[in-house]
This record gives sequence, structure tokens and C-alpha cells, in this order.
Amino acid sequence: MASTFASERRGYGLVAPTLAAMAVLTIVPIVVVVTRAAGAEGRAVAATLLGSSEFHLILGRTGIWTVVSVAGALVIGFGAALLLQSRWVRWPGLWRGIFMVPWIIPGVVGATIWKWNYSSNYGLLNHTLQTVGVINEPVQWLSDPSIVLYALAAVQVWSTAPFVMLLLGAALTAVPGERYEAARLDGAGLPGLFRYITLPAVRPTTAIASLMLVTFALNAFTIIWVSTAGGPVGSSTILPVELYRAFQNGDDATVAVIACVQLVISAALALVYVRSMKAGDE
Amino acid sequence: MAATAQRPAGARSIGARLGVWFGLAVIAVWTLAPIAVMVFTSFKPSGEIFTVPPTLLPREWTLANYLSVFTTSSMPQALRNSVVVGLLVALLTLTLGTSAGYALARIRFRGARSVSLFILLGQMVPLTVLLLALFRMINAIGFSDTVVGVALAHLVITLPLVTWMIRNQIAAIPYELEEAAMIDGCSRVDAVLYAVLPVAGPGLAAAGMFAFLQSWHEFVLASVLTRSDRSRTAPIALTEFATEFDVDWGATMAASVVLTVPLVIAFVALQRYLVNGLTGGAVKG
Repeated sequence: MASTFASERRGYGLVAPTLAAMAVLTIVPIVVVVTRAAGAEGRAVAATLLGSSEFHLILGRTGIWTVVSVAGALVIGFGAALLLQSRWVRWPGLWRGIFMVPWIIPGVVGATIWKWNYSSNYGLLNHTLQTVGVINEPVQWLSDPSIVLYALAAVQVWSTAPFVMLLLGAALTAVPGERYEAARLDGAGLPGLFRYITLPAVRPTTAIASLMLVTFALNAFTIIWVSTAGGPVGSSTILPVELYRAFQNGDDATVAVIACVQLVISAALALVYVRSMKAGDE
Repeated sequence: MAATAQRPAGARSIGARLGVWFGLAVIAVWTLAPIAVMVFTSFKPSGEIFTVPPTLLPREWTLANYLSVFTTSSMPQALRNSVVVGLLVALLTLTLGTSAGYALARIRFRGARSVSLFILLGQMVPLTVLLLALFRMINAIGFSDTVVGVALAHLVITLPLVTWMIRNQIAAIPYELEEAAMIDGCSRVDAVLYAVLPVAGPGLAAAGMFAFLQSWHEFVLASVLTRSDRSRTAPIALTEFATEFDVDWGATMAASVVLTVPLVIAFVALQRYLVNGLTGGAVKG
């Protein structure tokens, strides 16, 4: 794999175009928003915005949204991956393909069809739940401020759980069968096998999957914007949605300040990511 | 459940089997019910869509919604725009990504690690952070409201993962293949063109397809970089079936189906490569 005669210059030459493109598309915009936020106008906006209770509510919602959608996707994705490992499932490849569809569907389509399903009078969700007897009154999924964030997190779970299934499925397949055999000979039951063989084997992959899910959740925009545009009365507004609204209002200073908040969060995540890569090398 | 060895069939085994099937059924309903609603609603005549109680299947099947999507809406133009943007993105991403991916897989140079890291970290920057500056930059170079402008912005999404996918694919090809070609008298460039690229071909095609799909999905950048039908991509056009007070749900669902079908076909065709490329990239980190 290593080539001794290839010059370093050639290496730099080949990566230069990609590096330049990524620098122009990421570094330059980051410098632009940071400079803007650090200017006089930006500092003034930051002082009022970061202290306002409305902004704290947005941060809180972003936190709830992230925790709920990541936890949900991990549980459902891991469950699906485990089920597909079972020897009683025929054509696991076919099932895997079917379960992947929500991830392949564009976010704007996913949001649109869920919006229709959530419709309180015409949606099949309320109708089904009422027929089964789980609820008596139609639930206002997208117009009740105390429900809407969770209803939208369910859509995020729906679209990202397949990604977890894919990664964890690959990790589960990679566990050698002899390991289970050996543990069983030592007298381990199904819970023991799960606890001492399955879980440790998928831990690194679960960590990476969680990290990516957190990134997806923190950057999520389309599902919320298309379904509710952050409403009603801001009850589904998270950071990226608030930024977009400021952009639409032409309030560039606010855009820059919120972008900086997002950057700080992403930088913390990136640090975790770099560390996990280093740990993986050793 | 992850256990795979044989065990005597008994009451426990039947219980476990029922449990597995029940679990599969639950996930299948959760996954497919919303999609089934989309498909069936798209075939309902407009009078049937707002019936109470709602039904899943249309009583009367009609293609009227698809007709209106393709004849009276801006969707056909938007689909054309999306295809052009996607092809541009795939072409640019493959050109840049193959060059960088090859160097990262084959050539030892100082800073190669930092370069990979920088490219990979690019995908962690939230798109909304870049929104303001990308909007200004695309305007400044005169590409506002054009498909080229949207395509250039989409590179920020596709380049990191595709470069990484290609790097992994090339690293998986034995270096001896190039060496053999060079011993036979090829230059290094010829060795890459005639020995490496044909072997990497299917993987590269999948990577290009992946770039196309990501561009086809993208909403937030396209929503600010496009202002008219001239450059508006399909995801943006889809939201235009909804005006402030009224949503044409039949046409919206038909357009949603139209947007989804090519993706599902492409995914089925390329599933193997995409799954390998993604899990390889993500797990190796």
C-alpha cells in the first residue's frame, strides 16, 4: 500500500482541490459569521439574545429534541438490528431493505406525509388510535404546544433509526459465532449472552452512531420547518429553526450570533469525534 | 435473540419465535404505514381525501393527482433542475473526491492525517451556520438563483463522505495491481487509469450516486439559493403545493411519490456498495 517513490508534492497536489473547496465552503463562512458576531452590532445582539428567557427556552427545546430523537432512534434501530439477526427471520436482506426506506426518503417528503398523518381530523393516526380505544378525543399533534416537539421528534426517529439499524447490524454480524458458543458452554443464558457478548461487541459502533445521531438532531431543520415552521407560538423552535427565521427577516447579526452558538456545540462534538478516532487507532 | 446455534424446539422456542415475528410486525407497521398512506392518498380523487372517518385505501382509484403534478404544477421543471444539480454535484464530487481519495489511500505525505480529519470534520458543521455566508458568496460570484449555484453549495455536503468512501475503496484494492502494471511499463498515471479505476469502478459509481442522492434530498440551502422556477429544486417545489390556507393533499402526495421512487430504485440497485461504503467509513472512523 505504501509507495516509497511517490513524492510528497504529488500527494499535496491531489488533495489540494478538495481541500480548497472545503476551505472555501466551511472555513470562509465560519470566519464570516464569527467576525460578524464579534463586531459591535453582533456583541449588542448577543448580550440581549443570550440573556433572554425566550432564547433559554429555545436551548431547552433543542436539548429535549436531541435527547428524545437520539434515544428513540437508538432503541428502535438496535431493536430492528437484533431482530434481523434472529434465525427465525427469513430473507433478512429484504426486511433490511424495507426498513431502510424512511432513511432514503427525502426529509421534506417524510415531513409532508407525517404532517398529513398527524392531521387531527383527517389523519389516520388519530382515527386508528380512537378506533383501538387508546384515546377518546383526537390529539392535536402539531397544534398542541405541549405535544408538538415530541410528535416531530417521532418523525426524526422514524427517519434516522434505519441508519442505526444499518451500522449496528454490520457490527452484530461481525461478532464471531464461536464467542456465543463458548459463553453458552460456560452456562450463560440469553440475558447473559446479551449482556456479556452482544453489548460489549457493539459498544464502539453504538458510540459512533450516537455521535452522528446527535449531529443529525442538532442540525435538524427540514422536518420541523416543513411541518410547523417552529410553531405554534414557537413551541417547536430549536436553534437551526430560529437561525433560519432570523435569516428570513434579514437580521444578519442575530444569524451570526446563533450560528456561533451552534458552532460551539459542534466544536465540542467534533472534539469527542476526534478523540474516538484516536482511541480507535490504538 | 442474537444467538444463532440450534436448540431443541420447545415451548420456549415457539415463544421466542412469536416474539421475533411480533417485533418484526411492529417495526414493519411503524416503517411502512406512513408510506402506505402517502401512496394510497396519491390515488384518491380530491373529494375522497377529506372524508371522516378517513380510510387507507381509495374507494375510487384515480391518476388525476399525478396528471396535475405533471401538467399544471412547476414540478416537471423542478425535477429537471434537481437532476441537473444532482449530476453536476456527482461529477464535481467524483472528480475532486477521487483525486483526494487516491492520495489519502496511496501516498504517504506529512499532514495526510490532518487532511482526512479536516475533510471529515466538514460534515459536522451545521448547514445553517454556513447559510448566510454561502448565500452571499454565491450571489457575489453571480450564480444566485441558478442550478450551478445550488450545485456548488451542495459540495459542502457531499465532499466529506464521498472522499472518505473513495479513499476506503481504493485502500481495499491491493497495491500490487498498480505495481504489476508499472512493472509492465505503464506510467503511474496509466496504472491508475487502466488498473485501479476499472476495479474501483462500481464503488466509484455508487459514491457518485450517493452524492446525487444527497443533493436530491437537500432542502435548507436550496430554499435560500433559489428564488424562481428557473433554479428551484424538487424538494422546494414540493412545499409549494401548500399555500397559507389550503393544501392540495392529493397532488402533494403524488409529488412526494414521484420524488421518492427514483431514490428507492437507486438504493435497491446500489444497496451493497452504499452499505459497505457507509459502514466502512463510519466504523473505521
